[in-house]
Amino acid sequence: MPVTEGTKGRHAQSDIRATEIMAAAGARELHDGEVVVVGLGLPEVASVLAKRTHAPSLATLLETGVMNPRPKDTPVGLPDSRSFYGATCLSGFLDVMGMNLHRGVVDVGFLGALELDRYGNINTTLVKDDSGKVRYVNGSAGGNDVASLAKRVIVIMRHEKRKLPLAVAYLTSPGFVGGRSRQELHLRGGGPSRVITDMAVLGFDAATHAMSVLSLHPGVGLEELKANTGFPLHIPNEIATTPLPTAEELRLLREEIDPTGVHLK
Amino acid sequence: MANKLKSAAEVVQSIPSGTHIALGGFAIARNLIAVVHELIRQQKGDLTLSQGVVGLETDLLVGAGLVGHLIMGGGSLDRFGPAHCVNRARETKSLRYEDYTSLSICFRYLAGALGLSYMPIKVLFASEILERLEAGPGASDVKRSTCPFTGEEYVLLRALTPDVSFVHVQIADRDGNCQINGARWANEEQAKAARRLIVVTEQIVPTEFIQRSPERTIIPGHRVEAVIHQPYGALPTCVHGCYDYDADHLRLYVEHAKEPERFKKYLENFVFSCRDHWEYLEKLGGLPRIEELRADPISGY
Repeated sequence: MPVTEGTKGRHAQSDIRATEIMAAAGARELHDGEVVVVGLGLPEVASVLAKRTHAPSLATLLETGVMNPRPKDTPVGLPDSRSFYGATCLSGFLDVMGMNLHRGVVDVGFLGALELDRYGNINTTLVKDDSGKVRYVNGSAGGNDVASLAKRVIVIMRHEKRKLPLAVAYLTSPGFVGGRSRQELHLRGGGPSRVITDMAVLGFDAATHAMSVLSLHPGVGLEELKANTGFPLHIPNEIATTPLPTAEELRLLREEIDPTGVHLK
Repeated sequence: MANKLKSAAEVVQSIPSGTHIALGGFAIARNLIAVVHELIRQQKGDLTLSQGVVGLETDLLVGAGLVGHLIMGGGSLDRFGPAHCVNRARETKSLRYEDYTSLSICFRYLAGALGLSYMPIKVLFASEILERLEAGPGASDVKRSTCPFTGEEYVLLRALTPDVSFVHVQIADRDGNCQINGARWANEEQAKAARRLIVVTEQIVPTEFIQRSPERTIIPGHRVEAVIHQPYGALPTCVHGCYDYDADHLRLYVEHAKEPERFKKYLENFVFSCRDHWEYLEKLGGLPRIEELRADPISGY
């Protein structure tokens, strides 16, 4: 399908939004039968999409204690009753993050980020402006717990140079800090495996743990990607093109999963 | 049996300034609004406040200048915006604060609830959270050690035992046997770690109702010091199965919380000028507004 340059927002010719490509790419990273702890927003949208397509027995857990919700209205946040709807279990932190994540049975942690660096270190706490002035935004909540403990971590976020800096302003949740292995860092979870942005799908080089390009979304050039990234990317010899969402995936996203476009706008 | 039924005002009178309190809300759900408004009206200051994920209740107390020490795992007002007062206090360092994570706060409460002095955990490693804790006054609450059995590296967290825990529940009897509907985040650990436990309930039921499904009792009555019966006590935050959040009021709050001067006006309008929570509910729009927010019995919101 021909798509014009510039993936920000809606594709001119295909009428497919970058967020929809991200949700579909995220869903494809989740396998049937896996256990995933999801954050709200695009991670949740992607996990619901996976469950309604190729991964019906994916177990989706929210840090608050919610398991396998099937929301019919879009929640404003994790504790919103809308995110409890249709759940098969309602418990708490100790169950989801203690006896599942800490126990080591969670395959995937699916997170967002304010900032992400080349080793997959996540900042969700604060931002610094050019003068160094600090503005707090949030904190870890369950983010550090998920990033420390899940067998692999997927991060989904907008691709902007300032959001992908050489070093995060605050290291909330560790990836491969300093390029070191997870064992060296005393972390049980396997660390970051995929980064899904509105320009590309990225992974981490097995030897150096540095972020590496896996596929570019249709219409995105490698130079454009580099120009929008604040650190040097590992560029493999072959780079694929991210598949666009299928017609059925688009229908599910637009008509059933996020019909009012809260997360996909 | 002693009468445990108390008003928010009576309970707050028994809390000295400087107390360590733990609040049971999460962002925009089951916040202890009636209690927090009373703490502000009675100007109980220099509080230590601990919470897994902070929300409106903590933002109100911090904005009112009553918190001297904040121990938190994170938090915001979800899609309505950040916790402006909490963030401003962290930026200006107008209080002592320690950032943790949801699970590490939960484990600290769990240690307290089990009567253990510490709990080992496998998070915080290689993070700035741990680095900052170890470099500041929080260093006395975190240590690194190896397991004597396996040699594995752990972070050891000191038990967190609040002087007073508050939890907002849907259903309680007069003895304080409580049912919590919906997800419970760290409520059970937070409640049972505390020296004193106060519950605010939407509804008081006869004990016979509790006895029909005792497996649903999350907090048993013998642990509860006082029961505050305050319907709509969490508004404008939501209570699963009872009412939805008041989106209009949350937006109005966030607009005020952006600026310290406007925040003062908010406190004047919605806290200081109200004698109690019933007067505050009138300001939110009274019964007509409450009817609009009443939860659908199937969806719970």
